[in-house]
Amino acid sequence: MTTPAFAADATIEVRAVSKWFGQKVAVSDVSCSFGPGVTGLLGPNGAGKTTLLRMVCGLLEPSDGEVLVLGENLRRRPGGYRNLALVPEEDAVYGFLTTREFVRYAAVLSGLGGAAEADAAIEAVELQDAADRPISGFSKGMRQRAKVAAALVGSPGVLILDEPLNGTDPVQRARLIALFRRLGDEGHTVVVSSHVLAEVERTAGRVLAIVDGKLAAAGDVAAIRRAMTNIPYRVRIEVEDPRRLAAALAGDEDVSSIGVDGRLLHVETTDLPALGRRLPAAARSLDLTVRLFEPEDESLESVFRYLVRRR
Amino acid sequence: MKAFAIMLRHGLRQLLGWRRVAGLGLLMLVPVVVTLAVVGDLGDAAALRRFHEAPFATLMLVALPVVALILGAAALGDERRDQTLSFLLVRPLKREAIVGAKLLSGWLATVLLVGGGAALSGLVMGLSAGRGDVLVPLLVAVAISTLGYASIFVLLGYVTGRAVLYGLAYVFIWESGITGAVDALATVSLWRIGLSAYVDMVPESRPQLRDVLGNLTPGVWGAAAKVVVIAVLAVAIGGLLLRHRDAT
Repeated sequence: MTTPAFAADATIEVRAVSKWFGQKVAVSDVSCSFGPGVTGLLGPNGAGKTTLLRMVCGLLEPSDGEVLVLGENLRRRPGGYRNLALVPEEDAVYGFLTTREFVRYAAVLSGLGGAAEADAAIEAVELQDAADRPISGFSKGMRQRAKVAAALVGSPGVLILDEPLNGTDPVQRARLIALFRRLGDEGHTVVVSSHVLAEVERTAGRVLAIVDGKLAAAGDVAAIRRAMTNIPYRVRIEVEDPRRLAAALAGDEDVSSIGVDGRLLHVETTDLPALGRRLPAAARSLDLTVRLFEPEDESLESVFRYLVRRR
Repeated sequence: MKAFAIMLRHGLRQLLGWRRVAGLGLLMLVPVVVTLAVVGDLGDAAALRRFHEAPFATLMLVALPVVALILGAAALGDERRDQTLSFLLVRPLKREAIVGAKLLSGWLATVLLVGGGAALSGLVMGLSAGRGDVLVPLLVAVAISTLGYASIFVLLGYVTGRAVLYGLAYVFIWESGITGAVDALATVSLWRIGLSAYVDMVPESRPQLRDVLGNLTPGVWGAAAKVVVIAVLAVAIGGLLLRHRDAT
């Protein structure tokens, strides 16, 4: 298939997958695929990203549909894990081990010799200086890097990274992003989930957006960006005389609705930056002072919901 | 084999944190102190009788199952609680190997602690009553019963977060109560299986412990075979559970 949700040389195939826990539907009829390179899985918290990734890794059985990694169902053939590594969202580390022991543990469990592969993986995440310290004393960012090192050991073909940048500082984040991109360029299938658009934008060339358990959008980052820029934004503005300001803004073609509530003006616009530029001049011409100008629903969640409604 | 060995080694380190060892070590001192208190300077036959009445019962009925419960349930339960189970599950390993390594680490940790307490009690018997011959049978009984308990509790620790609660109910209602009241159930009582090995190795204890054994026939190899079967079944069931249950 050639639609944006499907990769040309798929290594991971998600076929009409649903997952429900009792009454709660976590993932609903998702079909997509991932191939070599970095793919971002974008969505707000609770959207179903982790559930989807855990099904890809064989940790959860789909309630319906099927997931294949390199043509295999990992739940039935654990041997397939030789080609897959996971960095889970949760703090899945052994605090009593040092980084070196932890990464060697991963190497030996993956059927590798241990020492050389582990040292190379530790070097890749730049944790050499802390390699012999117990993980229990690490910051969140260092623990994340230790998990990434454990996943890199043995250079698996498929890397599933669930919110790998959580807790990392800007420098660490930049280095990890560069590492993920390099792995993608080398031909690894790298799936990076995040709820932060900017992170995904810097990491992945291709993005799948998931909201409320459904695939909301797919394509390259630019296409997702374009889709998002057309979203109507709601802002609230506080002035002494909101009715006069409303009359002045009503003629703008980007403004789709205006409401007045006491001293507050609720404006819906499809071009937020233009409104931001126009507002000071309009207020000055009417001799009004703008006391408040803030978005009502600028959160990523609202953006994603818009994408879902639009489908 | 290398993967199994490293899971076993790290499993033991995980279970034998100093807080846990300190707490359970104190519990294991109870049978030793009771032995010291009741045996005194009695003659060897009287000392053996008194030993079976209090220290042995404290060891086999309370300390052993409680330590086995806490360590056995923690073997896979800690992995589930600390969310590290996925670290093991996304490896090219047979699920039975994971359960087997965890069961073995739970059992060895329990044997280390309970065996330590049992060895000290045996030494006290040897030094104060000249009955050092109970030491080896005691250790054999401990090894056998703890394997049975560890097999059950490793599975319990995986399937529920309330393993200690359910395990205590199992130990004190089923093992100490029901299987003692119904003779026919003695064959499925894990502490009695260990006891049957002890009685076989200390023939003098038969008259005193015959009633407790119920319909169990004393025998070391029979007892060992039973718990090995239980352990193999536990590994098979655990493997199935890891394969088919969601790792949440």
